[in-house]
Amino acid sequence: MTAKVPLAPSVEARLEEIGSVEVLVGIPSFNNARTIGHVVRAAVAGLAKHFPNARSIIVNSDGGSKDGTPEVVAGSEFPSPATILVSYPLSPVHKIVTPYNGIPGKGSAFRTIFAIAERLQAKACVVVDSDLRSITPEWIELLAGPVLKEDFDFVAPLYLRHKYDGTITNSIVYPLTRALYGKDVRQPIGGDFGFSGRLASHYLTKPVWDTNVARFGIDIWMTSTALADGFRVCESFLGAKIHDAKDPGADLAAMFVQVVSSVFDLMSSYQERWASINAAEDVPLFGFPHGVGLEPVSVNVERMRRIFRQGSRDLREIWEKALAAETLAEVMAVADSDEQPFRFPDPLWVRVVYDFAAAYHRRSLPGDQLLASMVPLYLGRTASFVLQTAESGPEDVETSVKGLGDEFLRQKAYLLQRWG
Amino acid sequence: MWEFLSDVIRKTLTGFGERLASFGPNVLAMLVILGAGIVIAGALRILLRLLLPRLGFDRFAQRLGLTLLLEQGGVTRPASAALSSALAWAVLAVFVLLAVGALNLQFAMDLVSRTLSYLPQVIIAAALLALGALISAFLRRSVLIAAVNAGLPSARLLAGGVHTALMVLFVAMAMEHLGVGRQIIVVSFTILFGGVVFALSLSFGLAGRDLAHGFLERLVRGPEQEKPDDLRHL
Repeated sequence: MTAKVPLAPSVEARLEEIGSVEVLVGIPSFNNARTIGHVVRAAVAGLAKHFPNARSIIVNSDGGSKDGTPEVVAGSEFPSPATILVSYPLSPVHKIVTPYNGIPGKGSAFRTIFAIAERLQAKACVVVDSDLRSITPEWIELLAGPVLKEDFDFVAPLYLRHKYDGTITNSIVYPLTRALYGKDVRQPIGGDFGFSGRLASHYLTKPVWDTNVARFGIDIWMTSTALADGFRVCESFLGAKIHDAKDPGADLAAMFVQVVSSVFDLMSSYQERWASINAAEDVPLFGFPHGVGLEPVSVNVERMRRIFRQGSRDLREIWEKALAAETLAEVMAVADSDEQPFRFPDPLWVRVVYDFAAAYHRRSLPGDQLLASMVPLYLGRTASFVLQTAESGPEDVETSVKGLGDEFLRQKAYLLQRWG
Repeated sequence: MWEFLSDVIRKTLTGFGERLASFGPNVLAMLVILGAGIVIAGALRILLRLLLPRLGFDRFAQRLGLTLLLEQGGVTRPASAALSSALAWAVLAVFVLLAVGALNLQFAMDLVSRTLSYLPQVIIAAALLALGALISAFLRRSVLIAAVNAGLPSARLLAGGVHTALMVLFVAMAMEHLGVGRQIIVVSFTILFGGVVFALSLSFGLAGRDLAHGFLERLVRGPEQEKPDDLRHL
């Protein structure tokens, strides 16, 4: 049963006034005044250019920004159709700017967007991050088009990213999701998605809004729920994803725990679905993949290795609760090794992830502590990946990530054995 | 002579018989209460050992960190078994007190009365100690993990310090509750805490001059030696 999502009275009144829409673009935000204007303009241009006959709306779900983000959205001047469009929009693009209720986080912002989509009976919804610098009007067509024109329920983004970008995605979330649900969705936590109104209503039926799904866990939860519950899933190539500059490693542990706990919680919920899957298949791809220039990424490998080694010394008593004895012994050997270049082998990493997933399922320790203790292992693995691919081009790196995905599939029996 | 001796023996036996006749029911009552206590405590232990694991108590205890705490204290049995035994012993202790009371002797009545009036303090003190052990173990782990993830070299020292300080605090609170040497505990805690702070200041200032120098320099100038890392993890 769907619990009613509380909306502000002014929003309720506006929804009554609008009635229904075909396309909804949701933009969650928190202190993004610097970039959100560009995102809103791109979304409006995309709606007008690609869906000129559709009734559409832009919803900004804000987490209490102090930098005037809602005011920027409310005051955004929509570009003149004549300057960029081939068609004039027949109906104006509506706008709703609303604060959301619940735990502060992206997931709570999305919940409000889902609720508005359901109220307006939106056929297709698109959500995009508010700190994007690389969004273009075409993103709206690429994310909403497959839903409206091809009857897909969920459109995952496919970006070109720097080889060292998205290491949680590359080393845990992508290969694990692929091995669990048997679909090759390359960016399951991309952050920008398209989905049907039907799927938005389905999301609202799930009682997850007091968990980490309400925070950073929302992206993987949306993707996994769509895959596990049998909705039609595809990908759209969006080009490069460039965010506003901020300190990316500031709260790594919190981010890591939120994302990985969401993946592991979903494993417990959908155990019957993934237990029998032994192969993965591609999903349909929309858009036109092409090469783009990417911003360089600097990585401090020594710091990662140092934290990994320190973890092996200081966190052993906690790792013992999660890792099988042989896995722990191998991890210790890797940490103590002076071998050059430093290597954290794929098969060992897969066993580490599966062991932690099983320990999280068994509740060997409080979940947040257990997963936070995994961060040094993740940094060790990331350091190894960076060193291993230092001279590699994007294609080689992609092959390496796919190879890790295959290793996750190969060791599925080990997961089942450890899961118990 | 023989008549006098037999008279003394007869009177002694008669007196013993009378005393036994008047005191016997009390002894019998004590034995019955004790027996009932043993049977009830045993039954309770068996019942809890069957029921608690089925209710998922062991998983709950594991999640709470209680299992780890018991293991650190040398208890290798499941938490449900430990709790069952503890509750059974507590029930037996209550029956022992009742049994002693049944003797109706003045010293026994005093003992029971004093024990019963002191029991709430003992229970609260035990609860404080158990709570302190749980909280300090949980925070020790949290601090240890956070310090390792932040790359602090003295993570274990920091976590150990937090654990010790919290345990000292909870032990002091428990002793205070029991009314054991109130002044001594407060003074000891103050001296210990002051001593630790003083020792840390001294060691940081003298033995760790270079460390202090480096720390203050980093604090003022920022971590310029550390190469910037702009990896996006998601």
